[in-house]
Amino acid sequence: MPVVRLYYEDMERLIGASRDTIMSRMAMMGADIGKRAESDHVDVEFFPDRPDLYSPEGVARAMQGFLGLKTGLVKYPVQKGSVVLQVEESVKSVRPIIGCAVVRGLQFSSEAIESLMGLQEDLHWGLGRNRRKVAIGVHDISRVKPPFRYLGADPERKFVPLDFTEELSMREILKEHPKGKDYGHILDGCERYPLIVDANDDVLSFPPIINGDLTRVTDDTHDLFIDVTGTDPMVFKALNIVVTSLAERGGKIESVLVKRSEGDFMSPNLEPARWVVSADEANQLIGFDLTAEELADCLKMMRFGARAEGSMVEVMVPAYRADIMHSWDIFEDAAKGFGYDKLVAELPKTVTIGSAHPAELRREEVREITIGLGYLETMPFTLTNEKVHFEWMRRMPAPAGTTRVLHPISELHTILRTSLLSSLLEIFAINQHHPLPQRIFAAGDVVVDKKTRMHLAAASIHSSASFSEIRSIADAVMREMGLGDGMRIVPSQDGAFLPGRGADLLKDDRKVGLFGELHPLVLRSFGLEQPVVALEIEWGEL
Amino acid sequence: MLSESDARVLRAISDGLYDPKIIAEKLNMKVEAVRASADALAESGLVRVTKSVREVFSLTAEGQRYGKEGLPERRLLQEIASGKPMSELKDPNIKIGLGWLRKKGWAVIQAGVIKPIGTAAKGKDEEVLESLLEGAKSCESLDSSGLEALKSRGLVSSSKAKEWRYEITPEGRRVASEIGDAEAQSLTVIASGMIKSGDWDGSNLRYNGKLYHARPYDVTLAADRIYPGKKHPYQRLIDRMRGIMLEMGFSEIKGQVVQSSFWNFDALFQPQDHPAREMQDTFYLDSKAEIPDYSRVKEMHEHGGGIGSTGWGGSWSPEVARQEVLRTHTTGVTIKYLAEHPMPPVKVFGIDRVYRREAIDATHTPEFEQLEGVIMDEGVSFRHLLGFLKEFYLKMGFEEVRFRPGYFPYTEPSVEPEVFIDGLGWVELGGAGVFRKEVTAPFGIEQRVLAWGLGVSRVAMLKLGLKDLRLLYQSDIQWLRETPLSIES
Repeated sequence: MPVVRLYYEDMERLIGASRDTIMSRMAMMGADIGKRAESDHVDVEFFPDRPDLYSPEGVARAMQGFLGLKTGLVKYPVQKGSVVLQVEESVKSVRPIIGCAVVRGLQFSSEAIESLMGLQEDLHWGLGRNRRKVAIGVHDISRVKPPFRYLGADPERKFVPLDFTEELSMREILKEHPKGKDYGHILDGCERYPLIVDANDDVLSFPPIINGDLTRVTDDTHDLFIDVTGTDPMVFKALNIVVTSLAERGGKIESVLVKRSEGDFMSPNLEPARWVVSADEANQLIGFDLTAEELADCLKMMRFGARAEGSMVEVMVPAYRADIMHSWDIFEDAAKGFGYDKLVAELPKTVTIGSAHPAELRREEVREITIGLGYLETMPFTLTNEKVHFEWMRRMPAPAGTTRVLHPISELHTILRTSLLSSLLEIFAINQHHPLPQRIFAAGDVVVDKKTRMHLAAASIHSSASFSEIRSIADAVMREMGLGDGMRIVPSQDGAFLPGRGADLLKDDRKVGLFGELHPLVLRSFGLEQPVVALEIEWGEL
Repeated sequence: MLSESDARVLRAISDGLYDPKIIAEKLNMKVEAVRASADALAESGLVRVTKSVREVFSLTAEGQRYGKEGLPERRLLQEIASGKPMSELKDPNIKIGLGWLRKKGWAVIQAGVIKPIGTAAKGKDEEVLESLLEGAKSCESLDSSGLEALKSRGLVSSSKAKEWRYEITPEGRRVASEIGDAEAQSLTVIASGMIKSGDWDGSNLRYNGKLYHARPYDVTLAADRIYPGKKHPYQRLIDRMRGIMLEMGFSEIKGQVVQSSFWNFDALFQPQDHPAREMQDTFYLDSKAEIPDYSRVKEMHEHGGGIGSTGWGGSWSPEVARQEVLRTHTTGVTIKYLAEHPMPPVKVFGIDRVYRREAIDATHTPEFEQLEGVIMDEGVSFRHLLGFLKEFYLKMGFEEVRFRPGYFPYTEPSVEPEVFIDGLGWVELGGAGVFRKEVTAPFGIEQRVLAWGLGVSRVAMLKLGLKDLRLLYQSDIQWLRETPLSIES
């Protein structure tokens, strides 16, 4: 989740409340506050559905409402500007959507620049799917000359990218610039690359990769041009979040005329979305008992515009909110405005009779039997790998029903186990420094042909572990589990056992288990130095 | 190794005998042999020997005779009875008594006739005489006036005598306990016949004409450490949670480890381009699953399904939904169950393994247990969810619970419960919320669904004091052995 660094002094100034007041209530608005607060700042995590809180300005705006200092909808005036951006046909197959704005009259402190950069990165993560869906560029507009053009450019087109001093072609940027290496894959297979240039054909931006060095933002920058490009209308939410955040810093928003063949529009559009919601529905969902007026008050604290009309509430959703998809999203905010800490917990009245799952009841029996025989329970991982599970067990090749994961994160975990025994041997292997005999078992799940089956495996390691020991255990387990009838014991061909010292359990000619003395070569693969006898029995499936 | 006689002597001393003479008598040994054994035992530190020299008094030959016959004056007194003329006393030995008779005031002579007077009670000298007849004694046990009287009459003589006193040491007691009785054969294992027909007296046994002594053990000694077969401590915790859910009227459900993306993600209204669905977080399989009729789910994702939602927009692909995964949560199992049981009331829970593509370390494992439950019924609200959560955590032993807004993709509103733990403060434990309408509507579920989930391993870390989650799965056997069955719950 995005972490926003909040400097106390900055927050006190932006919100107009004391540090203690702010910090004591922030979590109840919806935030994870880091345990280690520094003397001058604190790092706070905000949820992925609230990108409007990814900047100190956005947090301040929300906190002012939540603390009741300034409630209701914030109106951000947008002055009609003179800047024009032309969208050319050549870019539409690559990265069709663009929104932009001009913000003037900013005084950038280093903190403000830090927060703007942080906001951009967090939006790339939270809304932009790592720039694929949404990418943001911020420019010093005084360095370039409108009108601007957004076009699909020849990859050989050269310019000086940010943080470089020499010209590179766009193709070279993807190979050599750190950002090119990180995000170049988004343009895989594209014949033309997106580019924003000014009236003199100087480059502002190569979205979604890198800006030109020309328009770099510095402490002396006062007027910004912001471009947001992408593949989804979420582009406009991101733009709104950035410009309203800058407006909270005192910037004056100016519109840009975006010209397209399918129709021109003025950007940004900060008009709120209008919803009409029912107080009854809110009361039923949350379980409180509010009038429409009270519901409207709760919503105003969350900085919605809200007005009661009979039992309904007309809600104006700010243009920077990206998370309102359904009336319940509005009701959740109402509950936050009301205060989760003020909601009285109440037990539901639903009367039902509970029952355990039959497989778990059976598992409990299996456990009781094995524990009664002196075995200690273990709960090994169900992920394993072919080397341990089949090769070391002398059970090559792996059976067809083995479940392999496509992109394992480690060579230790590449498949789901089809049996339990190798997991027990691994546990013996890490416990050789402890006294013998060791007797362990697992009553866990395996997956064969994508179906979950339940097995029991038990193993015993000590200097005089013998076939007759495990034969007695296997007998006892089968007897107690009621598996004896119709079960046949036949010599096993399983490579894990010493030839002539392993047995298969057959029920209606299907192999449902085995027991015996493990082959010394198996033991050697696991690094074990004492005899091991073991059994494994299938006892159920889902 | 002790010799037979040393062993017997040690045993006798251990039984409380301290005098070599008595030991010799009891063991039918010579006193010298007993002393030699005791000296050897003392050198080995098994016995402490105290030697002392004392003055002892014994009767002279004359004293011996008087001891047996009585003092002359006593005999004379008997002789004269109620009175006797002097002339009739012939025995010279009796005459010796005459002076003492008068001296002790037992008789008077009047006109040649001896007459007893008074009671002539037994004197101290006579008591000492009788006592010394038993053997030599030191002055402590004898009356000094009686002794002096006898000495003055030459009936008692004194001499210096050496004395030995034996005491067992703790080490000697331990060794002695292993030897058994001095006379009886030491016994460790009690044979069946001894139980059925032995003649027992305490730990002494007469059996088939032989004497045995059931060797006493040092019951304070440490024993070999043994361990019972046991449930895994983590499983006990899971069972505790299962028990709570069952007590609260929930039924247990289970589902497959391998799930389609449809049930794992799409049915829960997770957009197909959601970061959590990316390869880097989820274990995908190279296989496709059959999925049910998806038209309403598709409509919900694309356009909001006619319930007043905006939907995600874009186009929803059934091919993406068919992609199989190792379940990333148990919620896919829950929504599938609800889709099959859309009528209220439903209260179900499950505790099962879930899989996340995470590198393994002390606080992350690629698979772990998740507890999840839902309540679906008419008229249930978010406030009921809080009420349920409070009760559950209370039953888990967390007395202070508070609620903070949270975010989960398929619930709205969402809440993060926190419990207070001494030394740690408020700890986030699980997540909960009301299933979004976008989740329930496509399956014809008309009532609100209160849902909550909990990482069980997190509770295990708190309850079992674990620092490393891997210990749960790649267990140290000694930890399993040593973790007591009874844990605070």
